[in-house]
Amino acid sequence: MTTDPQQQQMIRDAMKAIAERRPGRSKLVYDKTKRTIVAVAEGAQTPRALNITADDADMFAVATLSSQWLNDHWPVIMRDRMLPVRFSSWDGGDALTQCDLGPLPASSVVGGTILLGEATVPPAGTELRIVLRPGKGPVSEGSTFIAPDGSVHHAATLRHTEGKDESLDTDFVDLQPELAVRRATLLETKVLNDKTVLCIGLGTGGGHAAIELAKCGVGRFDLIDPDRLTVGNVVRHPGGISQVGRYKVNVIRDLILEKNPEARVSIYPVAVTVENFETIRPLIAGADVVICGTDNRPSKLLVNRLCVEENVVAVYGGAFRRAYGGQVLRVRPKASLCHECFVAAKPDESTDTEISSAAAAEAIAYSDRPVAIEPGLSLDVLPIANMQTKLALMELLADTTSTLAILKADYAAPWYLWLNRPEPGTQYADWPPMSESYDEMTINRWYGIDIARDSDCPVCGDFISAVAASYGLDTKAFGDLPSLPTKE
Amino acid sequence: MWSYDQRQRLYLENEVLHREGFTQFTVYQYQSTDTYEASGTTSSSSGKLYTLQIPIPNGFPQARPPMYLTYPFPLYTASGTLVSSLGTVHDMHTLTPSAAGQVQICHWRDDRWHSGIMLHKVFLKGLLWIEAYEQHLATGRPLAEFVSTMKAAI
Repeated sequence: MTTDPQQQQMIRDAMKAIAERRPGRSKLVYDKTKRTIVAVAEGAQTPRALNITADDADMFAVATLSSQWLNDHWPVIMRDRMLPVRFSSWDGGDALTQCDLGPLPASSVVGGTILLGEATVPPAGTELRIVLRPGKGPVSEGSTFIAPDGSVHHAATLRHTEGKDESLDTDFVDLQPELAVRRATLLETKVLNDKTVLCIGLGTGGGHAAIELAKCGVGRFDLIDPDRLTVGNVVRHPGGISQVGRYKVNVIRDLILEKNPEARVSIYPVAVTVENFETIRPLIAGADVVICGTDNRPSKLLVNRLCVEENVVAVYGGAFRRAYGGQVLRVRPKASLCHECFVAAKPDESTDTEISSAAAAEAIAYSDRPVAIEPGLSLDVLPIANMQTKLALMELLADTTSTLAILKADYAAPWYLWLNRPEPGTQYADWPPMSESYDEMTINRWYGIDIARDSDCPVCGDFISAVAASYGLDTKAFGDLPSLPTKE
Repeated sequence: MWSYDQRQRLYLENEVLHREGFTQFTVYQYQSTDTYEASGTTSSSSGKLYTLQIPIPNGFPQARPPMYLTYPFPLYTASGTLVSSLGTVHDMHTLTPSAAGQVQICHWRDDRWHSGIMLHKVFLKGLLWIEAYEQHLATGRPLAEFVSTMKAAI
């Protein structure tokens, strides 16, 4: 290995350029004469050398820090000339990622110190030193930091192990701009940052939908689910085996923050019951859209009632048994059918649900007629969750000129049906094979279905008047709430 | 605790009960606790008396109301077993009994209930259950056999 600092820097620059698939000021070649790798200026003639590509390159370890975090702490650095910082150590120390970047640190954490100038002496035992050297541009390099006072600093990161210092690459990252740039051309990211989504039920589908919305840039989440993550959940749920035992609201909150660190997430590990109405109603009232992924009818009907009363759009998703398919219902209160209209109009479809837990099985079983727990595959649930997410996005961006606006006509129907397989014993068993049909209903295609709202619905319609009229009752008397017979 | 809509609904339920000829049943308000129940004593086709009680849950009508048979108490199967000891059993169309041990008749399960179902339909299922129960006592065959037969006649 060369000890020439200039050659070291050129190698480092060339490696970064290779890794980022961009032209650099220098490139790496294998010098056949010296029988070693050297860095040469880009464009230099190297007839006795072999060019090295990204596939050949082995990178330096890299330390990644948030430039925004450094900006926020700049006054402290100016005062103390140093600042402690902790890093997650991944892959045997190959990647060191500032713990403050996200909510989930690695199992191994390394302590480091940011030092202003090389003369600053770090505390004893400091493993990682990030030395900020004053300098001038270029400012496009990842190791360059521009302080709030406009001063430019180049970072050199040194790891002290086994009595020696090892150089690491330093990469300052600007979280929000870098996160937003990939979605900015498709989504109104700034609009979404101001939106609130209430996610009720954070199982496989609901959890996935919440995380997808975070990726899209939704800025605020309220999460409701009373359950803890179990080992059995892990093969389907976004949460992993190392999270077993945690409340699902906590698991999904952390995964949301992994995707959108500036999201504001509130958690409520409670069930959807009448007893919790006081908690849930204000959350619904404050939401721009509600995503309901609960797995039982009573909770869906309670959510439906509150959403209609608070005039908030809700998107309900559910898988059929063993996830042979599923459905999504979007309810725009008083403008489309509500979930109560749906269960009355489609009694069979609305009771065809996946039995993915003991509680769900118990709700429909008798002791002499047990019901098996038969969850579907995650990959069969996710199409349904993706459709929920898309419909929620359409609602969140309804008043914008987002690219998604052209989809309004495509997503005009309130009810969406999806089949993963033509399940024997169902009305879909005789659907033709997908490979043989393009003009008939087949698996793996979404179908938007229009169902009219029931104007006499007990929740979104005028049930009382309709029933009273059918019995010749005077509804005027109802308005005064006449008293019923009493008991003591 | 009770919304205006819920109180309106309960008044309507009482009116419809009586107009549908279920005059043996009434929706009552317990003033001291501001709770409601629908209840009454009815007779089977054989002339035996039974009391059915439906405590109104505070999530009604979205929440399914349970229906208990409170008289005769206790209630026995043809083989002399306490019906309430069976718990949630399809053969007897029963759900978890009340804390006091009263038999809960299975009318609609939670996954089938919706708020368009009115109490006179629930009581109708209760009456069917009573007839089936008496057939069960007479024959020893599972009550469910008779309920499914009579369900087709509704």
